[in-house]
Amino acid sequence: MNLKEWIFTTDHKRVGVLYLIGSIVAFAVAGIMALLMRAELSTIGPTITGNPTQYNVWLYAHGAVMILGFQIPALTGFFANYCIPLMIGAKDVAFPRVNALSVWLFYVGIILAVLTFFIPDPPDVMWTGYPPYSTMTTGNTAMYSFTVLILGFASIIGGVNFLTTVAYMRAPGLTLNKLNIFVWCTLGAFVLQLIFVPVLGTAVTLISLDKYLGTNFFDPSKGGDVLTYQNLFWFYSHPAVYVIFLPFIGVVYEIIASHAKNMVFNYKMVVYGGIGGIVLLSGEVWVHHLYVSGMADWLRIGQMVTTLMISVPVGLMMIGLIGTLHKGSIAFTTPMMYALGVVFLFLIGGLTGVPLAVPSLTLAVSDTYYVVGHFHYVMAVAGTFAIFGGIYHWFPKVTGKMYNEFWGKVGFWITFVGVNIVFWIMMDIGVKGMPRRYYDYAHFPQFEDAHQWMTLGAGILAVGFAIAILNWILGAINGKPAGDNPWGSPSLEWSTVSPPPHGNWPTPPSVSEDWHPYGFKKA
Amino acid sequence: MAHDAHHAEGHAHAHWDTSVWPFVISFGILFLAVAFSFKFVYHNSFAAILSMGLALPMIIAGVAGWTSEAMGKGDGFSYSAMGWFILAEAMIFASFFVSYWYTRLHADVWPPAGNITLPKLMPLVMTFVLVASSLTIHYAEHLLHLGNKAGFRTWYLLTIVLGAVFLGMSIYEWSHLIHDGFTIGTNAFSTVFFSVTGLHGSHVVVGLGIFLAGLPTVMRGDVDEGFMRTAGLYWHFVDIIWFFVVSQIYYW
Repeated sequence: MNLKEWIFTTDHKRVGVLYLIGSIVAFAVAGIMALLMRAELSTIGPTITGNPTQYNVWLYAHGAVMILGFQIPALTGFFANYCIPLMIGAKDVAFPRVNALSVWLFYVGIILAVLTFFIPDPPDVMWTGYPPYSTMTTGNTAMYSFTVLILGFASIIGGVNFLTTVAYMRAPGLTLNKLNIFVWCTLGAFVLQLIFVPVLGTAVTLISLDKYLGTNFFDPSKGGDVLTYQNLFWFYSHPAVYVIFLPFIGVVYEIIASHAKNMVFNYKMVVYGGIGGIVLLSGEVWVHHLYVSGMADWLRIGQMVTTLMISVPVGLMMIGLIGTLHKGSIAFTTPMMYALGVVFLFLIGGLTGVPLAVPSLTLAVSDTYYVVGHFHYVMAVAGTFAIFGGIYHWFPKVTGKMYNEFWGKVGFWITFVGVNIVFWIMMDIGVKGMPRRYYDYAHFPQFEDAHQWMTLGAGILAVGFAIAILNWILGAINGKPAGDNPWGSPSLEWSTVSPPPHGNWPTPPSVSEDWHPYGFKKA
Repeated sequence: MAHDAHHAEGHAHAHWDTSVWPFVISFGILFLAVAFSFKFVYHNSFAAILSMGLALPMIIAGVAGWTSEAMGKGDGFSYSAMGWFILAEAMIFASFFVSYWYTRLHADVWPPAGNITLPKLMPLVMTFVLVASSLTIHYAEHLLHLGNKAGFRTWYLLTIVLGAVFLGMSIYEWSHLIHDGFTIGTNAFSTVFFSVTGLHGSHVVVGLGIFLAGLPTVMRGDVDEGFMRTAGLYWHFVDIIWFFVVSQIYYW
């Protein structure tokens, strides 16, 4: 293997694999941060560190790295890079060098995030970086700003690249209504990235300008306004939920259609109602993150309505999934298990989100573990399960080999049990009044048992994830040959050899009138 | 089988496209970020200069290498890609303007203490120059489309001159204001003034940079029409943003 052809590669598949390796490393790092936090919280008082700031650094690194270093790059980096050109029958992306630039910028972002553990005065600003704390702390806020800016720029150029690719490089005959759901979902996510990432970039730049160059954006004594930051930040960071949600649900669509051998239920409703609806509504709900920061009542009501409204397109996408399962010939393979896990976890996460949309209820549970539990169900765990399932699903295509089915399922079940222990208990103690982000909970001794259960659950789920990752590594080294199309899918990425050569197909593919990515032959 | 034959052939010279420049630029940017931390967080100027000494050559070499590698080999997608990129750029300006409106409309007293009256004539002249440059580049493209390469070159150079004049006036105005004690740290309005005009100015610099990158090919006479259209689109965008800057910052 020629290492130079990997590091300097401009091929979309290799860029995708580089994204995958980086994001799995980021996942491991951020996961260890979570385990350290859980270990700290297993007893009242100092457990493994006596320094609350150390806990804040873990909290910062866990959130920032999981979202910006793992989920977004795995979904819009690995899956998008690897699958989109193959799914649309293109030989590569429109701008291969730009693609290489975006993956290396991603690595630079990860390096900056990891440097956090070695520098004096690490950033301790959570993943949100709210001023005035972030502009007054001795922690290195610049590191936070640059990490976000660099990863943000990487995703903007990635977005430009993929929107152009899908617009111009589809195989002959591949009309818009024959695109895979995953392609549609990712396009939606990239449009959101292009619109909203610049706003986040601006927000974090303004903090560093205020702190280091003496500007007054957030300094009320000079006429600035501190709430500006929260508005800018959430104007991106709420849609960021959909930037993650859309590709991961797209992955789940691909898995469920392939492993249930069924046409996607109501394709046009899913694309134009579900994905389109989410893209249109996602920019109008950010103020619900500011319910407790203070605002006019009429604005609260308006944002409650839009927030509840966005559950309609999300619901359409869930109906599409259930409908695709209906009357399918379901094979309970490992990817399918993960996909069904997503449906279950996302349903819990989604339904527990509805009370949070209503201001009168939010005011009661805001800043408790209920919010943490809900968020992890709906996005963190559901998204991660989709990513794991997707890696299993395309594993034979990427490596040409088969993973171990038995250990795949073992890993799934252990993780599944673990996450439900951790995050169900979180929601429970949250409703009972346990505040989030606390380093120590001496004032809430009644929750010590629950915290210990959660620490146990965190250990269990870590074992499950480790089994999955080991399964991939071992499968890539000495798995059985998988063949070009082990799932019997008509989708274009399975029509080439596994792993695909440079240029993907010896001769560019074209598709016929009656072809459809989900046109499975009925037995 | 033809398929297998192709497959075997593919293995025989399994060549994968590479380019070192994206890698070089990315790590240049890493050193840029490190330099900022050294300078402003740890107050270690020596280490900051050292990192900048790594960052700038890497970024400049990366951009130059990339340009020479790719110039003239585009697939004609750049115009559409620029459209998407401009959407993202527009959102950066939108966030600056909206934070400005938000702060201003929320303020109990406006303008905040320490404000001065901005000059009114200078921005008008600057507007005239920038709009003129937008028209000249449009006319240059038109001539290129008709095949008049000599005419194209003249109007292209005129555009660069107008852009440079605009930038010069900006610098002149900034230095005057700073001389009068109106700096970026004076109050919330000065912060907005310098950051928004600075952001716009940086886009003028980038636009000029794109024109200058295309200059060698223009002087040689083998112009890439797709490149020109793309560069022109960016320049019109910079022009349009200026109307917001003038109306919101100078005249409101």
